[in-house]
Amino acid sequence: MIKSRFFKRFVAALLLVPAILVHQGCKKMLDINSSRTVGEENMWNSMEDTRAALMGIYGLVRAALVDNNAFWIYGDVRAGEFVSPSRPDLRAVIANDLTSSYTTIEALSNWRRFYAAINAANIFLERVAEVREKDRRYTENNMTVDIAQARFLRAFCYFYMVRIWGDVPLIIHSHDGKFENKRRENQDKILAWAEEELLAAAADLPFRYSVNDEQQLGNYYNEDASKWNGTLARKLSAYGVLAHLAAWQRDYPGVATYTDFILKNFIRAANNYISTSHLTDANGFFYGKLNNQLLGFPFEWENAEQSFAGHLEELTLAAPIINKSTPDIYLPKDSILSIFNEAKDERFSLDTLGYPSNERYFTNFNGKYPIFSKIKCIMEGSITDANFRTYSSTVVFTRLEDLTLLRAEALAVLGDRNGAVENLNVIRDLRGMEPYDEELSGSLLEAIFRERQRELMGEGHRWYDLVRYHRIKRNDPEFRQLIDEGGIYWPLSKTLLAQNPLLEQTEYWRK
Amino acid sequence: MVVCIMTFPNTGYPAMDPFMPATVFMMQDTSTVDSTAMAPADSGWVTSDFIPINPERLSLSPVVSLQQALKNEVSGLYVQETTGEPGTVQNMFVRGISMPLISPRETYQTQPLIVLDGIPLVAEHPFAYDIKLFDYNRIGPATNLLANIDMNNIESVQVLKDPVDVASYGPYAVNGVIVLQSKKAQKETRINVDSYIGLAQRPYVTTINGAFENAFRRQFYDRYTATGSYSPDDVYPLYLSDSLNMDYYGPSNWTDSYYRNGLNHSITADIAGGIQLANFRFSAGKLSNQGIADDTRLDRYSAMFNLYMRPLKWLGFTAMINGNRLIRDRNRTLRDRFGEMGYLPELQSPLAPNNSVYSQYLSQFEKGFDNNATNSVQGYANLDFTFSSLTVSSKLSVDYNEGHRDIFYPRSLMDEVNFASNYYGYNQRLIFDNSVRFDWRINERHSLLLRGGGILNWDTYKYNYAYGYRGINDFIKLNLIEADRNNSNFLNPSGFARQLVYKFLDRTRQNLVSFYGKADYSFQNQYFVSLLLRTDGSSNAQPTNRWFFSPGLSFRWDLKNSVFTEATTLSAFNFRLGAARTGRIYAFDNFSQGPQYTSDITYSGNITVPGYNAFAVLSRPYNFGWVGYGIPWAYADRLNAGIDLGLWNDRLNIALDGYIRDDKDQLIGIPSYAEYGYSQSYEHGMNVRNVGLDVTVAASVLKPTDPKKLAWTSAINLSFNQNRLQALPRGIDQLVIGDRLLKVGERIDRYWLLLNEGIYAADEDVPQVNGVRRTFNGITLRAGDPIWHDTNGDEIITDEDRVLTGNAIPKIVGGFDNQFQFENWTLGANFHFQLGRKLLNQQMASRFDFVNREGGTSIDAVKEITYWEKHGDYDQYPLYNPWSTVIPYRVEQDLFLEDGAFLKLRSVTLGYDLSDWFGKRVKSAQRLYLYGSVFNVFTISSFSGGDPELAGYTGYYSGYGMTIPRTFTLGVKLGL
Repeated sequence: MIKSRFFKRFVAALLLVPAILVHQGCKKMLDINSSRTVGEENMWNSMEDTRAALMGIYGLVRAALVDNNAFWIYGDVRAGEFVSPSRPDLRAVIANDLTSSYTTIEALSNWRRFYAAINAANIFLERVAEVREKDRRYTENNMTVDIAQARFLRAFCYFYMVRIWGDVPLIIHSHDGKFENKRRENQDKILAWAEEELLAAAADLPFRYSVNDEQQLGNYYNEDASKWNGTLARKLSAYGVLAHLAAWQRDYPGVATYTDFILKNFIRAANNYISTSHLTDANGFFYGKLNNQLLGFPFEWENAEQSFAGHLEELTLAAPIINKSTPDIYLPKDSILSIFNEAKDERFSLDTLGYPSNERYFTNFNGKYPIFSKIKCIMEGSITDANFRTYSSTVVFTRLEDLTLLRAEALAVLGDRNGAVENLNVIRDLRGMEPYDEELSGSLLEAIFRERQRELMGEGHRWYDLVRYHRIKRNDPEFRQLIDEGGIYWPLSKTLLAQNPLLEQTEYWRK
Repeated sequence: MVVCIMTFPNTGYPAMDPFMPATVFMMQDTSTVDSTAMAPADSGWVTSDFIPINPERLSLSPVVSLQQALKNEVSGLYVQETTGEPGTVQNMFVRGISMPLISPRETYQTQPLIVLDGIPLVAEHPFAYDIKLFDYNRIGPATNLLANIDMNNIESVQVLKDPVDVASYGPYAVNGVIVLQSKKAQKETRINVDSYIGLAQRPYVTTINGAFENAFRRQFYDRYTATGSYSPDDVYPLYLSDSLNMDYYGPSNWTDSYYRNGLNHSITADIAGGIQLANFRFSAGKLSNQGIADDTRLDRYSAMFNLYMRPLKWLGFTAMINGNRLIRDRNRTLRDRFGEMGYLPELQSPLAPNNSVYSQYLSQFEKGFDNNATNSVQGYANLDFTFSSLTVSSKLSVDYNEGHRDIFYPRSLMDEVNFASNYYGYNQRLIFDNSVRFDWRINERHSLLLRGGGILNWDTYKYNYAYGYRGINDFIKLNLIEADRNNSNFLNPSGFARQLVYKFLDRTRQNLVSFYGKADYSFQNQYFVSLLLRTDGSSNAQPTNRWFFSPGLSFRWDLKNSVFTEATTLSAFNFRLGAARTGRIYAFDNFSQGPQYTSDITYSGNITVPGYNAFAVLSRPYNFGWVGYGIPWAYADRLNAGIDLGLWNDRLNIALDGYIRDDKDQLIGIPSYAEYGYSQSYEHGMNVRNVGLDVTVAASVLKPTDPKKLAWTSAINLSFNQNRLQALPRGIDQLVIGDRLLKVGERIDRYWLLLNEGIYAADEDVPQVNGVRRTFNGITLRAGDPIWHDTNGDEIITDEDRVLTGNAIPKIVGGFDNQFQFENWTLGANFHFQLGRKLLNQQMASRFDFVNREGGTSIDAVKEITYWEKHGDYDQYPLYNPWSTVIPYRVEQDLFLEDGAFLKLRSVTLGYDLSDWFGKRVKSAQRLYLYGSVFNVFTISSFSGGDPELAGYTGYYSGYGMTIPRTFTLGVKLGL
């Protein structure tokens, strides 16, 4: 009897325990926050969220540019001057076989990564005001500067995509959860919109961060200037992109205006021209974050952001610099000599005995593969211990030298020959060369484009320079055909066409 | 058997039932029960285990994992043993695959539940794949967790077929259930020793050297190049261009260092004893299994303890604990090593086939280490309170396993940079299970068993992982950190470059709350009905769809007892029918969050970007894919109809089970919204149907009354399975994922291939339309390119012309077992076969596609030492122009599709029973049995490469699988 009474109580207790757990514990047990992702309710609450989101946009732009080395394959490899001894996919790019079935080419034909950055910027612009309301530490000024950067990055992505694909869908809202397929929009419309956006952003962007610039007071996100040097979009970054955008549209008066602003203000932005040795040092211009990188996306060694993939070095370097027998791409000796055809060029020139005067741009010049070694940031920028192929070079979209030469180009086209020569000579002088002489260097426009080729080699400019050059000259029937028929653009990848029925393949590639 | 249960009413099979691990009731002990005596009895009254598996026989095999032990033993189960390397992960599929197997993540999500003494074992979580560029291995020891089962400790094994039985285990059981019961505590004192030693035979292979490879490549150069070089930029590989280089052109004798004879041994000793009200069984064992190649090995130390106590008439206590330590020496393939390092060193010259060079390379490993250890413990403690027909139980179960992997590779192995990595991770499951059981024998005719309860389940998966490059020297092999708090470098790495140390912490939890009620009703021992009502709440389900209700109903009709009572030839005849629904838990907690933010700014080749400018970032999971709201539970509906037939006093037993299993409303990523940045959108609505038939026939072919005469029993099991994609989300008809096409109405494991019809001998042979020659993806086809069939007749070759053909998962899997007994001799022969499957010979495709797999720094260009082994039939492939940009030797064409069917004589065992002799000499002796066996005797197949079984879950035969060795063993089973 005792047993049984005890037993009944025990049973009751035992049944009660789960019952209580059901009502009180279940919800708690089942409502657990993921430790792997942040749900919607935990985002857009504080300025740490806006910082994470803004840095996320930068990170996404960086990812879009370096994915499969897109920046250099679009910009340098496609120009067809480099040669690839070992990679059939790169050979196909060089031969303009952009529908070949290589995974690299398929990936490079896909614009998704740019749209990821654009979507992140769209969400940011839609949600940032919530943080302003919730977090009193997040000032109006901070928000204004953040918005300007998001708009800048979004417009930059559109400009970059227009150069690659021509017409692309213009999407300026996140459409979160209610995505709809869009048609390709006329590229002129997109560029006009982007120009407005960039101008609006430029107005709100400071020359530098955390230096009490009138557009950005105090320490930006409580970090001092050394943290931000070179990493974020600044006023001159916007003008730099505007100048390129105008040049792409053949709006040379616009180029002149925008570059004029840059050349008048670069001191304020703590920019200056850089020496040839700084340009080519392993721990020089391309290493880490510097103000002189007018628009750059760093992979900083000190922050452990260096990586194996996503750097020019991955394509260009090989023995004797690193332990790799064949470079993915190289510039043959003849090409080097025809491009670097002027004496005293500190980047590359032959001395009187016919030997290279230095190994800045090209190492192992007389070997089977001259190694294009202008950019060689291996780990901490030392090339003495360079067996481990992890690179820390920054992706630089533009710098002062580029914009100076762009100005020269614009002035040359507009007929201001003196102005053009003056700007060209700034760079020639910087690289140890004599002032421009038509007898030696050919026509002015040729000389400017040749100078751009030498100065900006491996910086993702050459292909667009060629397009601009041939748009001006129209003297190469093959290239003219490319321009006229849209062959200067990349085809849309199969993946894109399969998922969005409103997209049409670019005319030129529709065969 | 029945007697045993009567004596120990609570020890029989207490943990068999997921709900109610206490008392065992045999509803009836006439007719069919005898034949199911080995079966765990308490699953439900509709359950069938008509022709049980004999774990005793399985314990004779020199295998280490549960998968291997069960491979050809039971219908409905398909095991993939893709390498002979001991202790590696193997996939099991019960009654087909429920989703397309695209990456290892899906194979983790399709594994059946293993239940050991009522504990649903926790499996590894696929989230660890997120941080590695190459998914060949999971980070950590990647040891097969089911190598923790010593068959000597197992009393019974059952692959559940009745839908209600399966559904009783809840959402974990969605891919099927395999139930293991350990041997239980016993009253009588018993000691058993089981042991074997074995030798795994070194395989004989044909080796090749640089001369062979050179000659192979030369034929392409002779045919397609005028100058010996296809283009000025084409480089002939250095290692082949110098025929005086003895490293490559000398003797190809690397096999002396690579292959060996492997030694195996195992010893398990157990003791059981006690008194009627308190008894135990304890077992300890050690197993060692050496692979035949690459110095691989697995060691297992195991212990198991079962306890039963009934201190008071109404109070019972049972407990079990099973502990294992698994130590694994892994292979040293370049691929796996580079995968671990995430770094591809210069690959221009492969490993040399010359033994002196190769052994020098191997000696570099001695400067480093690769230690893999897994500890695994599972146990439960169960209290039950019995009062007349009412029993209340409370059970606490834990399953915990942890893996450690510590690696150091010296500088000489990788571009003069050394590498260290350390992994620690665990999977943990804690279950608190309370239940009530009421056994109501209403009268002679009606019996009712009511059960109900609640289960709380906490799962945690975690790992800490760090790796570093460029340590200061080869003597500091650990990734040390600064321990001095006052040092400014506190907690920074001191042995390896701070910037080159990558650290990862990850943890994910999954909680499950379940309530259920189950009723079993029997009428006159002729009709049996089981009804299950269950509801589960998962923390991985979205808050709006947290709970999932799943019912089940099963019915069994004992025709022998009701209709054919007079039929003498008929010894058993059951008809079974059941249907049940089971929920499926999402493996990743991302899906519970809806739209979310994460750190996802990665790109190709760099999938672990820490941040931007040293700030952590948050963005939408663009690479992972869009996850919206409103994701419901996925679930499986099962329907099973079966017949058990016993004839001539069970001399011939037949069990037939036909099933339909519909896996519904599953999530799948659909490539979409690229213009919003997403790689894909996860959407629900993928339905996959598996239809099949499980057949088991067991016959006593010769069953002499005189035990001195030859007896022969023969058993065959066959699993027929077909899968079909029933629906995709949004009602779409097809979906391309990588190299796969999923098409509604087709199988989900089909290959999607171009049909190869030969070679264009000249440019003029390429068909022309309006003077334009046929193209492949926009590239004009030329002489030396393959003739690919223009399936859709649009005069160009694109993906549209690829067709779905073949299938990776076999349509028929089976085993055929024969046991002969003559006096004290026993002889067993066991066959395994898989029919109706194809595989893609990637190994040969890679050989021929040498142009795209030379040099560079791509994982595809990695050549293992086994590159110097001759495989396949070179003559069956046309000589295409390998430089062509159409990539003529792409693997996705039927040129490389081969029949993957095979038949294996898996084991031959000869034994001699010395029990009588032994009993006469030793008083307490029970048993002495000696045996010798040959395992993996031969394979018959038409496949041109190696063993077709070694193809992975995708059906691609990569050549990476290590040969499953032929093993000779001698063993003894001793009982005192």
